[in-house]
Amino acid sequence: MRKTVTTSLYTCLFFVLIAPLTTFAGFPIGKYRNIVVPTFSYYRQTDRFDDKDHVIKGTPGTSFTSYSSNLFIGYGISRKLDFIATIPYLYQQNIVAPGYKLVDAGLGDAVVGFSYNLVNSNFVRFFSIGVSAIVPMYNIHDGPSPLGLSAYGSEVKLMYCGNLPKDVSTKGYFNLEFAYRRYYNTQGPDQISLLGTVGCPVSKYDQLSLDILLYRSFSSNKEFNSNVFAAHDYSFFKPQLNYGHTFTRRFSAFVGGFYVPFGVNTGVGYGGSLLGVIKI
Amino acid sequence: MKKVCHVIVFALTILLGSLAGVKAQEQTEETGDVVLKATPYNKTALFTSSEEVRYRLQLHNNTKQQQNGRVLYQVTTDDGKKVTADSVQISLREGADKDIIVNISKRNTGFYRINFIVKLPEYDDTVRRVFGVNPEKVTSQLHKPKDFDAFWKQSKVELAQVPANYRVLERRDLSTQYKKVYSVEMHSFGDLVIRGWLVVPTDGNKFPVHYRVPGYVVSLQPNMDNDDFIAFDLNVRGNGNSKDVINIGTDNYSLINIENKDKYIYRGVYMDCLRGLDFLYSHSNLGIDTSKIFVEGGSQGGSLALVTAALDKRVKLLTMQVPLYADIHDNFAISASYEQQVFPFKVFRKYQSQHAGFSWEKFYSTFDYYDPQNFAPMVKCPVLMGIGLLDQFCPPRCSMALYNHISSANKEFVCVPNSTHEVNFNYFMFQNLWLREKFRMP
Repeated sequence: MRKTVTTSLYTCLFFVLIAPLTTFAGFPIGKYRNIVVPTFSYYRQTDRFDDKDHVIKGTPGTSFTSYSSNLFIGYGISRKLDFIATIPYLYQQNIVAPGYKLVDAGLGDAVVGFSYNLVNSNFVRFFSIGVSAIVPMYNIHDGPSPLGLSAYGSEVKLMYCGNLPKDVSTKGYFNLEFAYRRYYNTQGPDQISLLGTVGCPVSKYDQLSLDILLYRSFSSNKEFNSNVFAAHDYSFFKPQLNYGHTFTRRFSAFVGGFYVPFGVNTGVGYGGSLLGVIKI
Repeated sequence: MKKVCHVIVFALTILLGSLAGVKAQEQTEETGDVVLKATPYNKTALFTSSEEVRYRLQLHNNTKQQQNGRVLYQVTTDDGKKVTADSVQISLREGADKDIIVNISKRNTGFYRINFIVKLPEYDDTVRRVFGVNPEKVTSQLHKPKDFDAFWKQSKVELAQVPANYRVLERRDLSTQYKKVYSVEMHSFGDLVIRGWLVVPTDGNKFPVHYRVPGYVVSLQPNMDNDDFIAFDLNVRGNGNSKDVINIGTDNYSLINIENKDKYIYRGVYMDCLRGLDFLYSHSNLGIDTSKIFVEGGSQGGSLALVTAALDKRVKLLTMQVPLYADIHDNFAISASYEQQVFPFKVFRKYQSQHAGFSWEKFYSTFDYYDPQNFAPMVKCPVLMGIGLLDQFCPPRCSMALYNHISSANKEFVCVPNSTHEVNFNYFMFQNLWLREKFRMP
């Protein structure tokens, strides 16, 4: 059960930290322009994948549920350089046995860094690199916390995005991201992820997008452990479908739902998110 | 899980591959017996005087036989004075490729023509290019009449005395769900009626304004492509739907009353542009954000935009491409070296040759009041300019001379090396970002 909680937490954290970025990741924010993206996410799981990719049914009456809010801030320092920061707040309910509920709440792992546009292709496609520090916003000296990995870390991300080829879609866009993340702890973990997003407007103000995420976390500690921070080794595949609506030139909202159909040492998660993109 | 990973990675590879394919398709296909592609080492073909000018020549033999000959290159100043020349022996097998690096010693500030010539026994081809050295140090003499400022001050006074009598008519037949189109009419300098088009997005209350002024005898139509700006397209006298009194072809438009500075066509044209601003400022009720008006134009429109920004500080940003008539004295000297005359001096020379009493001194005694370069020091707002290095109508030296006379420290230019009298898509993409940056638009 604790493993379920662990993997759920990782999935949840990843979702919270990454999902808002997909809205504009890779696209330079631009000088004098700022973006604020508040996100509200819901994640739930009752079952989990074992280390052989088999689904293990959860004990009836048990579940893990997370409600989280997340604030992303992007500030365009120059035409190529952006400052980015993400601060998550988590509220988790873990029913480990019928009638026995664990509740945790607080700030999670903040991600603070810079994104730099290396190459732009005719201002239509952009290749960028992002470098960030991962800073726990909770006390890491009192042992493992359910709110994060209790370790500082860093992330390097390569992003390529822009308009889809015209013979595919005249109005669609894509975003590809490859990220490497390392936590500075004896057992890591090291994490890599590959995210692909394709979006297409369905009307002047509405769009649909599909995110495909592959995530792999490596650690020397491959053993399942009920301690939420003991299990560092997992992987999952997560598609997410989003609908976005532009309300004004400064405010758009996206709502999306996801499901984790494949994974190793992770939860069979499902949920949704609501996020707003505020351009200042 | 592994299978899924493989499928996803494969899909992403295909996507990346297709993107690379698009890039490949964007390359221009070239034909010919021996194809020569000349690429400057500096992408914009702009160099500094402390570096060598370097080109990479890529040769490809398209024929089915051996080709022996020479590749020559000739460098001249932009007004045709010989600088240097050299040649390289080539021997190309059927279908073979060859790269040649051309190094030209450091040059002084200015613009230079460079011609690459493939000479084969049965085939000749010339690729014409232009490169620049220290473009932001290009200088020119201002030929500003002593009473220049007084002349334009008086012109503005006379404009102000003409009641505008604005008429704004909503054109439902041209409007869409997302854009409301108005035809607008006003009286301008000399009490001539001029007209334009105002296109207002329907999804908001207040918008910045894209004020566009026309190229040479160009008919501007409602601009329906601008989602984030109100688009105001003004047809100055003799252009588009403003031809009630002046309706004359391109050959003679720039010659109307050229022998009289007070009555020259461009006096009224420049004032028309200011009257357009008057219109915008008096119609904020249509959603016009008068604190965010940018004026834009290409060719003649580039110069009109600059003059508007110079004479009226209500303009907040200026963007112009290939400004016509800039640095008219140097344009005269440069154009004298052309094998075939092009506009504008094609027209001016023809007129001068047909009017015995019309000397070049007489020409300048009028045109010095209208040379956009003389207005440049009066421009204080942020400026973006685009130039094409192969432009003969507005030679790059003249455009850069004008640019360097602009007082505003907040100015940028974009150089498109293989363009003639135009800029490219890239420029307009950048212009869009530039405008959003300057206006702090989301």
